[in-house]
Amino acid sequence: MADLKIKALHKHYGPVHAVRGIDLEIPAGEFTVLVGQSGCGKSTLLRTIAGLEDADAGDIEIAGERVNDVAPKDRDIAMVFQNYALYPYMTVFDNIAFGLRARRTPKSEIEPKVRRAARMLAIDHLLQRFPRQLSGGQLQRVAIGRAIVRNARLYLFDEPLSNLDAQLRDEMRGEIKRLHQELGKTMIYVTHDQVEAMTMADRIVLLREGRIEQAGSPLDLYERPATGYVAGFLGSPAMNFLPATVDEQSSGPAVRLTPTLSLPLPAARRGALEARRGGALTLGLRPEHILRAAGDDAREGLVRYSALIDLVQPTGSRTYATFRLGERDVVAELQSHDVSRPGEKLDLALDMNRAVLIDPETNRVI
Amino acid sequence: MRGPARRQVRQGLRLMLATAVTLVFLFPIYWLFMISLKTADEIYAYPPRWFPAQLQFGNYAVLFRDGDALTVWNSLVVAGVSTVLAMLLGTLCAYSIARFRTGGDRLSDWILSQRMIPPIAVVFPIFLLYVWLGLVDSFLGVILLYTAFNLPYVIWMMRGYIQDIPKALEESALVDGCTRWEVIWKVVLPMARAGMLATAIFTFVFAWNDFLFALVLTRTEVTTYTVQVTHYFGGQSNFWSKISAMSVLGTLPIFIAVGFMQRYLVRGISLGAVKG
Amino acid sequence: MASRGGTARFADRNFPLLLVAPAILILLLVGVFPLAYLVVASFQGITMTDNDKSFQGLVNYIQLFHDPRLWTSLLHTVLFTAIALPLELLLGLALAQLFLDKMPGRSVFVGLLVLPVVVSPIVAGATWSLLLDNRFGPVNQILGWVFGREMPLLWTINPELVYPAIILAEVWQWTPFMFILLLAALASVDRSQMEAAAIDGAGYWRTFFRIVLPAIWPVMAVAVLIRGLDLFRIFDVVWALTQGGPGMRTETISIFTYIKGFQQFEISYTAAVAFLVILLLSGLVMAALRRVELSR
Repeated sequence: MADLKIKALHKHYGPVHAVRGIDLEIPAGEFTVLVGQSGCGKSTLLRTIAGLEDADAGDIEIAGERVNDVAPKDRDIAMVFQNYALYPYMTVFDNIAFGLRARRTPKSEIEPKVRRAARMLAIDHLLQRFPRQLSGGQLQRVAIGRAIVRNARLYLFDEPLSNLDAQLRDEMRGEIKRLHQELGKTMIYVTHDQVEAMTMADRIVLLREGRIEQAGSPLDLYERPATGYVAGFLGSPAMNFLPATVDEQSSGPAVRLTPTLSLPLPAARRGALEARRGGALTLGLRPEHILRAAGDDAREGLVRYSALIDLVQPTGSRTYATFRLGERDVVAELQSHDVSRPGEKLDLALDMNRAVLIDPETNRVI
Repeated sequence: MRGPARRQVRQGLRLMLATAVTLVFLFPIYWLFMISLKTADEIYAYPPRWFPAQLQFGNYAVLFRDGDALTVWNSLVVAGVSTVLAMLLGTLCAYSIARFRTGGDRLSDWILSQRMIPPIAVVFPIFLLYVWLGLVDSFLGVILLYTAFNLPYVIWMMRGYIQDIPKALEESALVDGCTRWEVIWKVVLPMARAGMLATAIFTFVFAWNDFLFALVLTRTEVTTYTVQVTHYFGGQSNFWSKISAMSVLGTLPIFIAVGFMQRYLVRGISLGAVKG
Repeated sequence: MASRGGTARFADRNFPLLLVAPAILILLLVGVFPLAYLVVASFQGITMTDNDKSFQGLVNYIQLFHDPRLWTSLLHTVLFTAIALPLELLLGLALAQLFLDKMPGRSVFVGLLVLPVVVSPIVAGATWSLLLDNRFGPVNQILGWVFGREMPLLWTINPELVYPAIILAEVWQWTPFMFILLLAALASVDRSQMEAAAIDGAGYWRTFFRIVLPAIWPVMAVAVLIRGLDLFRIFDVVWALTQGGPGMRTETISIFTYIKGFQQFEISYTAAVAFLVILLLSGLVMAALRRVELSR
């Protein structure tokens, strides 16, 4: 059962065509993340769902009912805003109770509901404070409390964590996901941060220039990207892209980076390139698919490469090493102690089983 | 040692200069207030005395006895009612312009240009209209005119204050179940409260201090204090005791009101161009 | 739900118009009606004695050009503006510099200094008529101390002195206006820019002209615009001090219009004058607004 259904939605801001025909169905209880770079239309899409913007064309249905002409207050939604949108002249309690009161909830019900929501978010000790007396993380909790206190059909989050520092963001990410598991509500979450998208979503909807680039589960998008854009957007550090041509070797098609450097493909991957002999190609390699070569490693699809490391960036758990491959700088994600300083020579193995092959003309994955 | 010492001397000189300048600018106000507390003998003493031998409120008592002080009440009524009206209509209009860009830039520019029209040019036809409508020397007529005259200011200022309110606050309220009107009432007005108060005080002061409109449109019934002050002008023999006492009655309330509004003064008198 | 939604959206679309309607209506009533009336009346021949509503063509407008009193009053207005405005600006700027840096009691000083701005101009005029009285006013007394002899100057009567008198009152009242605007502007000048200039070896004046002045320029422009418009319609202070006299020596365009309309009741001619004033001023305002930060 689809809880939210969007058909052929368009939205213009003056000359800007912000949403260019989006079709989307979101099942009840699912946590959907709309992700994309700024200007991709994700916030506009969310605001149109909320009714804060009018759709220019297309339909929005909530629970089977067309809501294009329904005022936001009658759409049975709750929303958390980027800058918290708390009323500075009200206490935390009154802020959380605002929506209940606006809907004429009986007084006797308000207090227990607010207290329960506050307890869920561990802010019950702050109820009598004013927003200006709270920290950023606390403000964010209040903003979320104001949404979950209402028993809405649909919960919308508009980049709620983008104002928090990194540590708080990690914490709140988990918090929101846990809330979703406890409440089981349909939630739509907008972010530009691919880490948030990956970690939180049941399903990611990746938007680009007002259209859906790809939708699916996080690992689906990560492992089977439909386009080079998706492949490059998800993952940190980002996927390495290398311009190449399809080369003919005795064993079948291979990926040629330079006249002297050609990477053979495993048998399973060759078929797709049969028709493209001599053609251009973009090779995508995730940093974690470049490994430190082990002496006896002869698995099919692993291509050995002797790299001269010129930049080393340890993160603690892993170490990123940059080296020259063909005509590009490439980042490999290695074990912390695989490499220690620039200038080092290192035997690496490129895992061509996991390589992403992209048609540079269409940017689609082959 | 020389550096700090020199800085101290500089600071001392600045302080002295600042005190001197402030005293010079305050002197006329001091003189006005002091004259109003002098006896007639002392007002017309030669050479002028800078400090009255005795303070007395006789000059004020005369104004209250003769009923002249009633003109302050008239000023209060016309300025007060017109301020409330202008704030009410102006704030709604400003909200619409700030949030929905109603009328686009043209409407905003037109409203601002209304503020710049010289009063003398409009007061003349208005006077003729009022003669025709029988509104000359009526509270209604004066209040209407002040309301209209102050509307551009209120709209302009409140537009600025409302633009400073994060839009998300209103959107959040809309999603939470408020109607458009409830959003204005429950979110916009509380958020703009300080700005409204400041704007209202300036609006009030403009109406309160106006002379030209009152001079033209009032006769005896609605005489405001500014017009009353000029009634005491008389060639060589000015009634100084009355001029000064009446002026103080009209000036003191504004000083007090503006004292509370110190923080918004710059923004208020610069038509919002300087946020201060 | 669907039908309710439909009406909700209809109401939504008209909501912005509903909000502006009452205010705009009043503004039209007081802004457009007078203008229309002025245009109509200015083509008629109405005076105190003759209610002649027939079309007179451009008679009144032609008379405008042959009325030396009108042009003299306009000249007086320009004169007041040209003298008072730069004085207020420079004095205000100097004061703002004086109070820019921290000093004990600064906010008290500033609070006291702005008081003249909120005094009613007619009261300000009255106050200065007290101060400038030839016998009982302290100004002549102080001048007497300075020059060591009696100075019974007739400030509001002597043609040589009426301009200084009015300008003195005007400058006293409105210098603080310039002062607090410029003080706010100066306070918001980027400190790091000035420090960078100092490190680059720029002296005080160089820093002032290259960094401070451009930074406060927008505010200065607004202040000058507001004050310029006020000065152009100057009425109250002149009325309180000289009523346009002696003779017509200090008659400004506002006073001229007032006398024509409300003392001589030359209705049609006054309408033409008022219309001319509006034209002049709106031309000025439009030109100025384009250059100033105020609209935006």
